[in-house]
Amino acid sequence: MAKNVLLVDDSSTMRKIISRSLRQAGLDFGEIYEAGDGQEALAVLEKESVDIVLSDINMPNMNGIEFLREKANRPGIKDIPVFMISTETGDDIIGEAKSLGAVGALKKPFTPDKVNEVLGPLM
Amino acid sequence: MNSFAEINDKLIESTIEIFTGMVMMEISVLGEPLTELGSLKKSITGMVGLAGTRKGVLAVHFPRQVALDVTSNFLGLEVSEVNEDVQDAIGEIANMLGGNLKTILSDRGRDIQLSLPSTISGDEYSFSSQAEVDQVILPFQAPSGVFYVEVELEH
Repeated sequence: MAKNVLLVDDSSTMRKIISRSLRQAGLDFGEIYEAGDGQEALAVLEKESVDIVLSDINMPNMNGIEFLREKANRPGIKDIPVFMISTETGDDIIGEAKSLGAVGALKKPFTPDKVNEVLGPLM
Repeated sequence: MNSFAEINDKLIESTIEIFTGMVMMEISVLGEPLTELGSLKKSITGMVGLAGTRKGVLAVHFPRQVALDVTSNFLGLEVSEVNEDVQDAIGEIANMLGGNLKTILSDRGRDIQLSLPSTISGDEYSFSSQAEVDQVILPFQAPSGVFYVEVELEH
């Protein structure tokens, strides 16, 4: 069954590119929802049926790490998997994201082939 | 402490990777790095700041036409004027390059913080730091013009 995806990134350009990369990678997905920061992402998760979240880390208002921390405290949405897509790939930051429940990380820049390789198993 | 030669090589590699892999635009290095760039005319600059154990800024300066072409390729649609999409796209290029610079300077990632990207544009402006900095400017040839990746790091 096709997965509904939530893209969280403050760059509308990057949201479009990730969306296009998912299509080009040939992955099976349903609805694609978008949010510009962690706060907006939480609101979407509370309202819509989302199967997987692809989230940036460095964002205004509520960044990706704060989003993971807040999401972990909300019983209705805490088990939805989050995959980080970010320029932030230092071991300390990715380690913290994973300790808060992130299931993986993809470094920007990326290609559709890389998207397929790392996200394919989750989709 | 990374040398500027090492930073240059990795930034060149990162810039080409971003343009060929995501912007879908072939670019090439144009000559040797510069240490000074005069005033920028009809351009748009994307930049991110670094704070923490290394302080500085990474900026990428595009002539308007190159910025429009980059945005058009990025989004897969024709863009003919500098608008929010162009500012967002150029900011994101700076963000990705800043992330790569941060990785070059700090493998683990916690000792250097990256600011959110910002952009400036205008008919004529100059870009310089008030602090004492080491500076390098890498010129690249894109199909419709020359653009520059600039790094300034405080001593």
